[in-house]
Amino acid sequence: MKDVTKSFFENGKEFKVLEPLRFGLAERDFVCVVGPSGCGKSTLLRIIVGLEPPTSGQVLFEGQPIRADNPQVAMVFQSFALFPWLTVQQNVELGLEAKGTHPEERQRIARKFIEAVGLTGFEDAYPRELSGGMKQRVGIARALGIEPLLLCMDEPFSSLDPLTAQNLRDEILQLWSNPDLPPRAVLMVTHAIEEAVYMADRVIVLSSRPGRMVAELSIDLPRPRNRKEPEFYGWVDEIYSLIV
Amino acid sequence: MSNSHENVGRAVAVADFRSMAKVSVGQVLGLVEAIDEVGGVADVATISQEVDMDLDRLGPVLAAAEFLGLLTVEDGDVRMTDLSRKLLSASVRERKAILRRVIDDIPVFRMVLDAARQARRPLERQEVLDSIAARAGSHQAEDLFKALVYWGRYVELVQYDSRAEQLRLRSPSK
Amino acid sequence: MRGTRRWLRLLAGILVLAGLGALIVDPQGVVTAAQLTLLAAFSTARMVVAYLVALVFAIGYGYAAATRRKAAVFLLPLLDILQSIPILGFFPAALIFFVATFHGHPVGIEFAVVFLIFTSMAWNMAFGVYESLTTIPQDLEAAAAAFGLRGWLRFRYLSFPAAITKLIYNSVLSWTNGWFFLVASEVFSAGGTEFQRPGLGAYIAVAGRNGDATAILGGIGVLAAVVLALDIFLWRPLSVWSERFRMDVAAGREIPRVASPYERFRWIPRFPRARRQAAVWLRPVVAGYHRLSGRLERVYAAHPKVLIEIRRIDLAMFLVVFVIVVSTGLLGLGRMFLRPLPVDAQFLPSATALSFVRLLVAYGIAVAWTIPVAVLLGESQRASRLLAPVLELFASLPATALLPVIVGFSVFVAASFGRFGQPAQLAAILVALFSMQWYLLFNLIAGVRAIPEDLRQAARSFGLRGRTYWKRVLLPAITPSLLTGSITAWGAGWNALIVSEYIQYAGQVFEVLGLGSLLNHAVYPTPDNDLLILTIMTMIVVVLAMNKLLWRPLTRRATLRYRLEV
Repeated sequence: MKDVTKSFFENGKEFKVLEPLRFGLAERDFVCVVGPSGCGKSTLLRIIVGLEPPTSGQVLFEGQPIRADNPQVAMVFQSFALFPWLTVQQNVELGLEAKGTHPEERQRIARKFIEAVGLTGFEDAYPRELSGGMKQRVGIARALGIEPLLLCMDEPFSSLDPLTAQNLRDEILQLWSNPDLPPRAVLMVTHAIEEAVYMADRVIVLSSRPGRMVAELSIDLPRPRNRKEPEFYGWVDEIYSLIV
Repeated sequence: MSNSHENVGRAVAVADFRSMAKVSVGQVLGLVEAIDEVGGVADVATISQEVDMDLDRLGPVLAAAEFLGLLTVEDGDVRMTDLSRKLLSASVRERKAILRRVIDDIPVFRMVLDAARQARRPLERQEVLDSIAARAGSHQAEDLFKALVYWGRYVELVQYDSRAEQLRLRSPSK
Repeated sequence: MRGTRRWLRLLAGILVLAGLGALIVDPQGVVTAAQLTLLAAFSTARMVVAYLVALVFAIGYGYAAATRRKAAVFLLPLLDILQSIPILGFFPAALIFFVATFHGHPVGIEFAVVFLIFTSMAWNMAFGVYESLTTIPQDLEAAAAAFGLRGWLRFRYLSFPAAITKLIYNSVLSWTNGWFFLVASEVFSAGGTEFQRPGLGAYIAVAGRNGDATAILGGIGVLAAVVLALDIFLWRPLSVWSERFRMDVAAGREIPRVASPYERFRWIPRFPRARRQAAVWLRPVVAGYHRLSGRLERVYAAHPKVLIEIRRIDLAMFLVVFVIVVSTGLLGLGRMFLRPLPVDAQFLPSATALSFVRLLVAYGIAVAWTIPVAVLLGESQRASRLLAPVLELFASLPATALLPVIVGFSVFVAASFGRFGQPAQLAAILVALFSMQWYLLFNLIAGVRAIPEDLRQAARSFGLRGRTYWKRVLLPAITPSLLTGSITAWGAGWNALIVSEYIQYAGQVFEVLGLGSLLNHAVYPTPDNDLLILTIMTMIVVVLAMNKLLWRPLTRRATLRYRLEV
């Protein structure tokens, strides 16, 4: 079994979106990065995925510098970023096609992950025929489809209504609890502190611009977590006080 | 205050299948989960606050959940049912099976599914719309059709090709 | 489907019977009809070839401008200039060049005509591709990058689909443009010689010169039928198809459709069955495209470096060509200014002013009638159902094809004014009017339809009526579409000058002083290259100046003030 580690250094000069910061990610880690809006969380994620180069420093994935098309890292977007002209099935197969997977194999894998996110029956639907929650499920199935070691999610629930969001959070946690499914680690960016405490093993707190790491907390609440318990609120309050 | 609850309760009680066209599976399940979290019963105002949705948006979700038999609404109090308890502890596949039985029983669905079974060929969108309109009035045919396709797909009873505008039956996986 | 086929068979039968009947009753008419059909086929073939070339060019150019920042620095301004060049202005030069290249063989003229149509189609399509590629949502780009879409795969799944909606929309405009120039170019005199290729345009033009009314109307009728048939069976289905590539799934919320850009096709039925049948017929084509795609993708995967090399080489080649063209152009210009100016150059200022005034008058008339009609059509379903097809029919006819009719009309009207009647002036203005007005009308209708119902009801509930309603609601709301329409209309107007200020009709020449007639003079009867270049340059400068100093600032102000937020 490989050990997934990640280090990150960055020195912003002119704009200073992010102060130098450094952290690692290990096997079976579910890490949330929280911070007020404009703290550079999303920039951080884009750098980690390799979509933008860091001003200085580097992101290492298993000891190698990261690249955008690295099939071991997959991304889930706030706006879903589905291709409107492709069906659910085709959207999920896309990353596999880019990897050069054989068509039949591609179809099989896509079906497996469409099933995993509960979208069987919608294979030939186009994104515009889906509800918001289902669109994001397609986004997740597409990300899982390339069987990544690391899954990055950028505010995956913030364009959903509260009910749908909560339902999807639970289902993602259910998927995550199944060790047979990828990924080996999750990195999620969010501005909702409750969401972070509800989902993550570790929470990294960033300050507002320029983003600076204020704290790194291990949430040791047992799962499934109940958002009504006082311990839960203890964590939420602590993070709030760190940010304000 | 209590007056408004009653109004909400009555409004929800008379709401019909049409609300199914406006809500998603995720919303209905999310609502059931939320009510479970506060102990299985709550009044509408509490839920509205709890899930941070105003009654305008919550109303159709409540109506749809009630229609599916997942919640009961009485005097502004929303209560979970045996069915929804079963649903919450079920896996994705079992959930679909449970809802499939419910949806297969809805008269409008029944009618269209039977027609498709008998026709032994894909049904044209227009045919289905016409037969829905004949039964439920043309002003809600579009909504009902949308609900039919959406929920029918979810429970894996129908397949719909939006380019050819054809609806056919499918057999649920495994 | 079987029903469609039966109808087709029935239709074919009726046509054959009617043909046989006509052959017995009026053999001469049948010959003419057959001849017209053949001419229509020639003309359409030219359009199709030019369109396909323009399509390839537009995708390549737009893609290059959107994806290569270094190339965009000169590709965009170049496109801007190309768009402002009056197309017919350099047609004589192109004609002479192509004819010389083919040693006088008619193929040379054929090339020149297709080239002219190409230039009337390509630029706005290229802009369409560029615009859609630069407005792809950031997240979608990021998703494509993150999931490893590169090279051909990226083009196939991201760039090309993203460009389709706009590309088809602009294609419809380009196609209309193309007819205008096709008709103008099938008969053309340059350098003292007349060049002619068989086609509907030539047929109408010759009929006009001979003053043969039956032939004029017959030619125009066939042309209208061809244009409409293509709209119904090609562009309308393509537009419907292209709608599915619209980006309306931003952030999970569907953006409400404002107004369909296919205003023009609203009244045409959709023929769902025929459409599905066509989809079945096209299946092998689609399958072929996907097979080819797969093969291309494998080639790319096998030799990733080769493509990078190709990109580098083609960019370098383009740069070399660009530098050569620009430097020879500048050299030629420099040499020209060393020589004494041509005598006729003294007319340039007055010609420019006169042409401008003529366009202004035509524009004024167009605005005056299109705004009320657009409001009527946009607000009343019934008026729209009744009038839209009629207006469509007129709009489908390129102004160039109407030339003989317009001149005939002008002569008739001018005669009633006796000594003060000036048929040439009237004709010039009318041709400009017919080239400009449709762009205004259809943009305005779309603008009126885009006014949200809420806004209208609010206005009504506050008792806004009559003049206040127009001033406070209608006019502000349609200002942006008025501007869009005006820009296109003026572009078309400048292009129409060349055909409108020098017309041969029924053995006479109708001529007025203006940039267009100066151009004609520079070509024929006294060829003068310096005058030609000076006139074209004057036109380019005026067009560019109007775009930069008038339309662009106005558009910017209008979008800030009058945009209807959704």
